[in-house]
Amino acid sequence: MVNLTIDDKQVSVAPDATIFDAAKAAGIRIPILCHDKKLHPFGGCRMCLVEVEQMKGRLIPACTTPVSEGMIVRTATDEIMTARKLVLELLLLKHPLDCPVCDAAGDCDLQNLTYEYKVNANKFTDEKFHWDIDYENPLIERDQNRCIHCGKCSRICDEIVAFGAYSFVNRGIEAKIGTPFDGKLDCEYCGSCISVCPVGALIAKPFKFKARWWALKKVQSVCSYCGTGCQLTLGVKDDKVLTTIYDEDQGFHNGQLCGRGRFGYQFINSEKRLTTPLIRKNGELLPATWEEALQLISARLGEQKSADASAVAALVTPRLTNEELLLFRKLFKEVVGTDSIDHSAGYAHAALTEGLKESFGITASPAVIADIQKSNLLLVVKTDAYETHPVIGFEINLGAKRKGLDLRTLSDKSGKLSYLPGAKNYVHKPGSELLLVNALARVLIDNGLADTTANGFEALKSALAAATLERAAAVTGIPAETITSLATDYAKAEKALILLPLGLAYPGHGKELAQALANLAILAGKIGKEGCGLLILGEKNNSQGAADLGIHPSANGRNAAAIIDGCISGAVKMLCIAGENPVVSYPDRAKVEKALDAVPFLVVQDLFLTETARKADVVLPVKSFAEKCGTFTSAGRNVQRIRKAIKAVGQSKSDREIFSELITRLSGKAVAADAVELFKEIVATIPGYSGLDYEKLGDTGCVYPVSIAAQLVPVTAAEPAGEEGKFALVIGSSLYHNGTMSRYGKGPMLVCSEQYIELGRADAVRIGVKEGDSVKVKSVSGELSLPVKVGRRMPEGVVFAPYHFDISSINSITTGSPVTYVTISR
Amino acid sequence: MSENAAVKILICQGTGGVSMGAREVEAEFTRVIAEKGVNAIIGKRCDVIKTGCRGLCANDVLVDIISEEQGRVTYDFVTPEEVENIVDEHIVNKTTLEKRKAKPYYNTFVDQQMRVVMTGCGQIDPESLDAYLAEGGFKAIEKSVKEMTPASVIDEVKKSGLRGRGGGGFPTGLKWSFCAATPGHHKYIICNADEGDPGAFMDRSVLEGDPYCVIEGMMIAGYAIGATAGYVYVRAEYPLAIERLQLALDVCYEKGYLGKNVMGYGFAFDLRIKKGAGAFVCGEETALMASIEGERGMPRPRPPFPAVKGLWGKPTNINNVETFANIRHIIIKGADWYASLGTETTKGTKIFAVTGKVKHTGLVEVPAGMSVREVIYNVCGGIANNRKFKAVQAGGPSGGCIPAEILDTPVDYDSLIKAGAMMGSGGLVVMDETTCMVDVARFFLNFTRDESCGKCVPCRIGLKAMLDILERITEGRGESTDIDKLLQMGTTIKKASLCGLGQTAPNPILSTIKYFRQEYEAHINDKRCPSNCCKELLLWQVIPEKCVKCGACLKACPVDAIKWEKGQIAELDKEKCTKCKSCYDACRFMAIE
Repeated sequence: MVNLTIDDKQVSVAPDATIFDAAKAAGIRIPILCHDKKLHPFGGCRMCLVEVEQMKGRLIPACTTPVSEGMIVRTATDEIMTARKLVLELLLLKHPLDCPVCDAAGDCDLQNLTYEYKVNANKFTDEKFHWDIDYENPLIERDQNRCIHCGKCSRICDEIVAFGAYSFVNRGIEAKIGTPFDGKLDCEYCGSCISVCPVGALIAKPFKFKARWWALKKVQSVCSYCGTGCQLTLGVKDDKVLTTIYDEDQGFHNGQLCGRGRFGYQFINSEKRLTTPLIRKNGELLPATWEEALQLISARLGEQKSADASAVAALVTPRLTNEELLLFRKLFKEVVGTDSIDHSAGYAHAALTEGLKESFGITASPAVIADIQKSNLLLVVKTDAYETHPVIGFEINLGAKRKGLDLRTLSDKSGKLSYLPGAKNYVHKPGSELLLVNALARVLIDNGLADTTANGFEALKSALAAATLERAAAVTGIPAETITSLATDYAKAEKALILLPLGLAYPGHGKELAQALANLAILAGKIGKEGCGLLILGEKNNSQGAADLGIHPSANGRNAAAIIDGCISGAVKMLCIAGENPVVSYPDRAKVEKALDAVPFLVVQDLFLTETARKADVVLPVKSFAEKCGTFTSAGRNVQRIRKAIKAVGQSKSDREIFSELITRLSGKAVAADAVELFKEIVATIPGYSGLDYEKLGDTGCVYPVSIAAQLVPVTAAEPAGEEGKFALVIGSSLYHNGTMSRYGKGPMLVCSEQYIELGRADAVRIGVKEGDSVKVKSVSGELSLPVKVGRRMPEGVVFAPYHFDISSINSITTGSPVTYVTISR
Repeated sequence: MSENAAVKILICQGTGGVSMGAREVEAEFTRVIAEKGVNAIIGKRCDVIKTGCRGLCANDVLVDIISEEQGRVTYDFVTPEEVENIVDEHIVNKTTLEKRKAKPYYNTFVDQQMRVVMTGCGQIDPESLDAYLAEGGFKAIEKSVKEMTPASVIDEVKKSGLRGRGGGGFPTGLKWSFCAATPGHHKYIICNADEGDPGAFMDRSVLEGDPYCVIEGMMIAGYAIGATAGYVYVRAEYPLAIERLQLALDVCYEKGYLGKNVMGYGFAFDLRIKKGAGAFVCGEETALMASIEGERGMPRPRPPFPAVKGLWGKPTNINNVETFANIRHIIIKGADWYASLGTETTKGTKIFAVTGKVKHTGLVEVPAGMSVREVIYNVCGGIANNRKFKAVQAGGPSGGCIPAEILDTPVDYDSLIKAGAMMGSGGLVVMDETTCMVDVARFFLNFTRDESCGKCVPCRIGLKAMLDILERITEGRGESTDIDKLLQMGTTIKKASLCGLGQTAPNPILSTIKYFRQEYEAHINDKRCPSNCCKELLLWQVIPEKCVKCGACLKACPVDAIKWEKGQIAELDKEKCTKCKSCYDACRFMAIE
């Protein structure tokens, strides 16, 4: 620790602290405009100037100067005040005083400091700037005239987002924050720049002229999109969520959000929200009362329960809270008595519910998000980890750019992570990842790098006999020596972590892939240590919670795929769907539609009249995450609270209220419906959650511990059956979307509004198409006409499509295998 | 140079020489000597040698002919047409062309100097390794490696008292020892050749005239500090310097003076050029490193200092060209010899680029401690056009002015700072009575405002605000509070700015106010420019008492605004006048106001 004196107060701080940090620790506020704790020191605004006894003669910037033993600092002498006032006067000389129409008013650091330092007159006069305002970006409005050159937008975009949309250009008074060739702002729309802008130079278009900052109520919650579990502050006025608010002290991510988290909140108060229950009468869905709807459902459930409970099936989205999932399970497993419940796990989450269950004895990842930056080598399987979990992507960026994290990506295409400094990429033939991982494991065994005492070693060793380097090289397209060196580097790294995103976007062999990766980690001894292990990133905000609460068939029940089959075969007579949208998100749309048309009674509860809800006999309007309380569990096992921000939209009820009413109606017994009570039940019944307390989760949540029983599980890898002359279609997630809900968020739709197919440049030339042209894509199960995107990241012969959209949805031509072979023509 | 060469023809080919036609002169000498068979006629070989800058660029093309019989004779303003005559008379007939010889002031200019750094400049062929070796080149690195430890090299440099010639004057040996003390395998040596002060060109001349000595200095630094790689950051506006330095580097690699095993001594040193794109601020060390890294050249906060965390986060030592050029002499001749030159606090010599209203402009290397007066009057011949000396701006846009009262200030770091100026890179701009000090301040501030990187607020907006006030004053719209405003702002900007550019930019204003406050007051209160320099404040009329009826103003006027007939006092037509000041400049009798 270093001891110093600030304004006569003795302070003791860590040696890497700056004077600013030390003052903060001592409760002394030093004004800042350009400093951000997440970014490299900049020292541009000169507001934080202080006097240091030992460095007389000039004023010292507190935010960039490290403390040293015995320093004597003064933070508010006359000279300092004069300098700070001069800085403000100079800034106001150029900064337009258009506060009445500026969206940042009330949240503007310059405004606040001007007030604090009482700068009510300016001894200088000058003309303001007349830069053109950039309205071209759909989400970010850029007014250079208001810019004070703190550089935070440019720095955050470079240092954390690793995009680099901005840079300083020009010199002297003409200097400004520019875009390449002064064009429109072209970026990945995360809005990080807006969040750190201290003035109104960058504003969120969707929030423009919506409310003054002081009129907003701030409610802390958790993002309801992906499984990262970013904390979120909602800005609420008149029972409407009008924006998300940046708070640099929030979460592991320091308030950083991705585009959909920041700009995708509009689904909450969307005009398309369902407001009343609907019941199908004469083929048409007509408004009904809750009593009618619940009566009808409980009657049908009761009838079916008496006839054959196993003919009832239920699907639920892992977007619901843990408490709601608990009641869901209770309703169907205990009250109705069916084991056919799932949350698309059969398609997507088997990696956790079956894979890791066998490999580690738990249905969760052994590693947590904090391990990313503590690791020395990070193996990202599927570069899409950036697209599916962008804020975890930021953590990877920071690791690679600041901590010297040795980044390896193993994927069927390149992606943003592939272009990070020092990243090594292993692009394999689509569908061959399992064999590749098996081959890596075999290299460890063959080269004496494996822990031979691991459980199941011998069985694995003999099972890996087929995974020879030669075969792996031939099938994956990656040279044998490259595979060997990757395996060796992984084994020899002091700390190595594996990352695998999963979800409906990655059908096929999720379970096997997770197990093969678990084998690799166990063999290399990279388990159960800091910065090591396997981190599986669930697709939805509560995917981990759904796995924890056992929302999948336990014995003889049907999983999601079997439920669909059961509907078609007539075995399933009644299907209840809470929040899932299988028509668009499950593979093989034609089959899903056939199943939902066939099932005799279909109940759907959702925020919107989705493609699935349109087929229902009863539709129930539910509350969004902003209208209820409860907990979500993130991919890193962090259990966090969401809080009610607005009152219910229309007559909607929460899923929790619906399930509890149905339980009461069916069983005649009241059930706890309060989130706190339900959480107590979770704590009492779910092993990992034991000891947690709803109130004590507080603002940051609580990462629950796991104990691992590592077991090597042999996994056989089927070779991808490449088809001559056809393209390998792989599906995934768009950076701007998550599942199908983001389609109701204005922000994501402004930047990515329709289904597309992405081709590599060479393929585009070969087919004779360019960006925006339409192509016919044909697989054995269907044909689509899709607009083309051309990118540099796709290898030849491989094409990509995201899965979120209804019109021309990609599941019209996919059937759930890891790769779909298609022909593409103009 | 071969042993039996009796006649050497040295042709100055710095940028100044080349632009005056030195290449053509050289070609002509070669052609004439070959065609006439001069070698056979005189029975000796004539070597035509191109050299670097000799300092008095105003007199280019300079040709020195050295022969046994006639000694060293300098001809100036040589054109290709004269070459044949010079060869015939001087070399063949052995009669010196007295009328074409450089005037005595040339010899005064040269003899009054003391050349250490510029020993090779103007004497040897900068493109020839052999020439450098013949001058004792690479002996210093040899001595360092064979006879000294890295620590003793640093001690020697410390003992010599050498201080950084880039302007700050930080003790070089101490700087080296910091970098040497920082743990780490990868360290860098950077030579700052981003000379940006208007009017300063000593670094360019050294690189053009003696590139190997800079390379050797850097090698010694690399050996002493434990750095294995270096960069020379040269501004792209110095194409000739880059060309010669690159050639020297190529030769060094070819001959094994650079690379993985320097001269077989078992240590590695790689050196490459990084061309700067011409931003003045890139001369600031942290901005320079950002520029090498491929980033925008913007200064970074210090600490951490480069010696701890510099280029690409590695310990880095930065010195400028002139500093590195001193090193070999210190190693060879010893620290004691070096310390015997100069003053108590400033050792060795310093090169000055003397420009402005002085008779003989050029590069001058003198022992530190010589007075400003001696430099201007003894070496450079005093003020041009017999006008009165007013002040000299030392240290370029970051420096300040020295008025006549303190002309005896010695040129060393501390005396100049005490006088309110600074050594800077060594620019001396001499100003006479026709120079308006407010306008001078405006000129330099306009420069720094333009070159501000735009990162910190005081520099970016503050300099512009100060410039606005100065412009107002020079246009007769000054206000009584302006001087105080300028003083207040200047002081705060100096203390509050991020890097050296902003921290020194107000200096020209503060020092001109300090010494020439009355000029500011005249502009503000009387709306008059005492030097008749600020156009908006001139009366644009002829002073009849001073007019000698010569008509020079008439000839100078481009728009027929002067009425004059022989024997008559001139008249100025204000309607037609465009205020171009041609007449004012042409009048040697100060008869226009």
